Amino acid sequence: MVTPKSLAKQRKAGKVMSVVSIAKLTEAEEMLFSAYDERAEKSSQSDAAIAVLKANGLPTRRVESWHYTDLRSVLKNVPAEVGEAVSGKVDTLVGNASLLALDALSNHEKADFRFDDAIGQLNGAFATSGSSLNVGAGEKLESPKEIQNAVEGKAAHTTHTVSFADKSSGTVIERQLGEGGFATSVTNLKIGNEAEVSYIIVQGKGVEATHLGQINVTLGADANFTLFVLNTGGKLVRQEIRINVAGEGSDFQLRGVNLIGDGQHIDVTMDLCHNVPNTTSEEIIRNVVTGKGKGVFQGRIAVAQIAQKTDAKMACNTLLLSDEGDFSTKPELEIFADDVACGHGATFTDLEPSYLFYLMSRGIPEKEARALLIKGFVDEIVEDLDHEALEEAIVSIIDSWLDQNG
Amino acid sequence: MPAVQETIDQVKEIDVDQYKYGFVTDIESEKAPKGLNEDIVRFISAKKNEPEWLFEWRLDAYKRWLTMEEPEWARVDYPKIDFNDIYYYAAPKSIDGPKTLDDVDPELLSTYEKLGIPLAEQEILAGVQERRVAVDAVFDSVSVVTTFKEELSKSGVIFMPFSEAVHEHPELVKKYLGSVVPTTDNYYATLNSAVFSDGSFVYVPKGVHCPMELSTYFRINEQNTGQFERTLIVCEEGAYVSYLEGCTAPQRDENQLHAAVVELVTMDDAEIKYSTVQNWYPGDKDGKGGIYNFVTKRGDCRGKNSKISWTQVETGSAITWKYPSCILRGDGSQGEFYSIAVSNGRQQVDSGTKMIHLGKNTTSRIISKGISAGNSQNTYRGQVSAHRKAENARNFTQCDSLLIGDQCGAHTVPYIEGKNSSAQFEHEATTSKISEDQLFYCMQRGIDEEEATALIVNGFVREVIQELPMEFAVEAQKLISISLEGSVG
Repeated sequence: MVTPKSLAKQRKAGKVMSVVSIAKLTEAEEMLFSAYDERAEKSSQSDAAIAVLKANGLPTRRVESWHYTDLRSVLKNVPAEVGEAVSGKVDTLVGNASLLALDALSNHEKADFRFDDAIGQLNGAFATSGSSLNVGAGEKLESPKEIQNAVEGKAAHTTHTVSFADKSSGTVIERQLGEGGFATSVTNLKIGNEAEVSYIIVQGKGVEATHLGQINVTLGADANFTLFVLNTGGKLVRQEIRINVAGEGSDFQLRGVNLIGDGQHIDVTMDLCHNVPNTTSEEIIRNVVTGKGKGVFQGRIAVAQIAQKTDAKMACNTLLLSDEGDFSTKPELEIFADDVACGHGATFTDLEPSYLFYLMSRGIPEKEARALLIKGFVDEIVEDLDHEALEEAIVSIIDSWLDQNG
Repeated sequence: MPAVQETIDQVKEIDVDQYKYGFVTDIESEKAPKGLNEDIVRFISAKKNEPEWLFEWRLDAYKRWLTMEEPEWARVDYPKIDFNDIYYYAAPKSIDGPKTLDDVDPELLSTYEKLGIPLAEQEILAGVQERRVAVDAVFDSVSVVTTFKEELSKSGVIFMPFSEAVHEHPELVKKYLGSVVPTTDNYYATLNSAVFSDGSFVYVPKGVHCPMELSTYFRINEQNTGQFERTLIVCEEGAYVSYLEGCTAPQRDENQLHAAVVELVTMDDAEIKYSTVQNWYPGDKDGKGGIYNFVTKRGDCRGKNSKISWTQVETGSAITWKYPSCILRGDGSQGEFYSIAVSNGRQQVDSGTKMIHLGKNTTSRIISKGISAGNSQNTYRGQVSAHRKAENARNFTQCDSLLIGDQCGAHTVPYIEGKNSSAQFEHEATTSKISEDQLFYCMQRGIDEEEATALIVNGFVREVIQELPMEFAVEAQKLISISLEGSVG
């Protein structure tokens, strides 16, 4: 087994050559690069991915999109052993959902790899398995499909491919599970014209886990897409959301809840590109930070010059409940079309004392009153899901987090 | 409906071809050799007859600058600057520190007259006391009028060129120079520290409410030169000063560099109000020529309940890279930033502010209005942060952008960071064209479309215009002409 120490020893002895030009490799970089070098199955895509990563190293805060998550310095303890993610260890989130299998990746799926970002590069270099779902034209999924991605202790990398053809509809749940380990998970989602799709990402990993997720979505004409992201677990988490609004008349809705407890670092970064005229989007992110939690939300709305009549709104509201925690947000607008209505709002605040007082004056103890207010703050946007069973399941995850951290 | 014709015309009026201040004053000047090296730093220091410590300070900055890299994060695009192709010092020969108006070269006086700032008249009309002539000779800033200086000194206010202050008040300069923007701060601030030639020094002693507004008018005249001025304003306990700054430059085909540093310090209960109307030559329609305005401005609210307020109207410069900031260190201190940035032609603006909340009960307010037209790019970039001990920090931010035409861009990049649970931040940003609802509302009441548009645009920037001192508000309104006072009546 290769450990950083043994590597350093070998390097000293001249047995291993340093392959990169960056000044000095971090422990994590050494582990990742040597893990790749030792990998049995490689492909031209994975070679290409690791080459970019080796050339650039892990991103630091000098890379603008990683400004608040200096991956190079915060990514530590990458497990040396690369394993496979598993599915089916827990019940599905809602009763009638059916589980998608985790299979070896086809060459076709590998061709979707994108190496323009560190998560894509890591995933492209290591991913071996993933779920796939193709919903045919006009097909309506009666019950949700669920992807389970559980990683325990080891490193595991998955790429999921989902497509909804024209006029199809359905709900997909992606669950990121496991107590520890290091995972990258990339989802490529194509939504056809007039399709109606809900995609729910529920990340509830253990407090030792490192999770780097990415979802790439292409939205067809007159399509309606709702993305819901819930983060409650993980030690170091980054979820990237990249939306290409490519069809006229389409609508994108994002709802995000980040519950960030002591010692956690959770980063949600969205890059939304309105590339055609007459599209709408709305994003609401609610964050709760307790203990020494650190949270990040970056949201960029880009409107291309031809994307006239774009209506895009974004709100990021944060409850910062601890003086030891911190939250940083960067809501960004990049507008090249003139006939648009784009806006964003961001707020930071503690619980409103008068609300607390109101509840406490009615005999509700402070702890409960606080929990009630926090619950109200996040549950509000869960309701936008408009799917009763799912809402209940998500609210119960939120409740159990509040019991432990509230 | 992307903006009615009149609005477009109004914006065009401030367009580069209309640039009124583009003339060149023909005056003999003395220059340092082109380029930058230790000898140039020594030359400038020697010209100013500076004490050894200041020369060392410059040299230290120069050595550090050599190791630094040009910042590339801003949304601006320009060919690489050849720092060895610039004159770092140029002074009109005729000026050797005149003491009264009579001593000033008439050529210089007429320049100011042409700029609409007839120095003598100005004294009477507006009660503006002193004009330092950063004139013709780009670097050199020379105090022309001294009468008000005397009057100011009666109340204890020190207002003089930086080079004079170094000799007359070395202890103050030494104490505060670089204490807000250290020589290590950033590429252009470090460059400025090495080669700054002059600027204003203001010191308002304890309890003094500065009896008049102080004002500086910067002018770049010489070819191939850069202007590197340095302004330092210190307000002692309970003092107040309002300071105005204006700038213009001749119309030239080449780009010129303006890299200034402004440092403000306020002690307990003190207040500084700093207003800028920036109208450097913006280049022509195709983006040829114009000033690169790379400026570091920062205020340090050191004392309790102190206040620093920045107001800026930015209409000029080919490229603007400027973030007037407030460090809210003292408990209960306040920071304000009011900005109008109008970009047209091929102008690129990347401007905004930083509000760093360090003390308890600190408050800040940011109102930024960007108007982009033509082929310009207009970016608001700002940071608001509350540190661990910044209990009850409050911020309100509003960034609105208005787009006129479909070839321009408006961007907003705010960084909001909270580390204290009692901090309360509100940020909102919008980008739009003129609202059809509002237009309809006005037109329904019998106002025609053109006039209604004027009215709305006028209202769009008014919040900021109101923050300007009277004298400047008028100039700014004219400048922005997008506020369209005339057509609304």
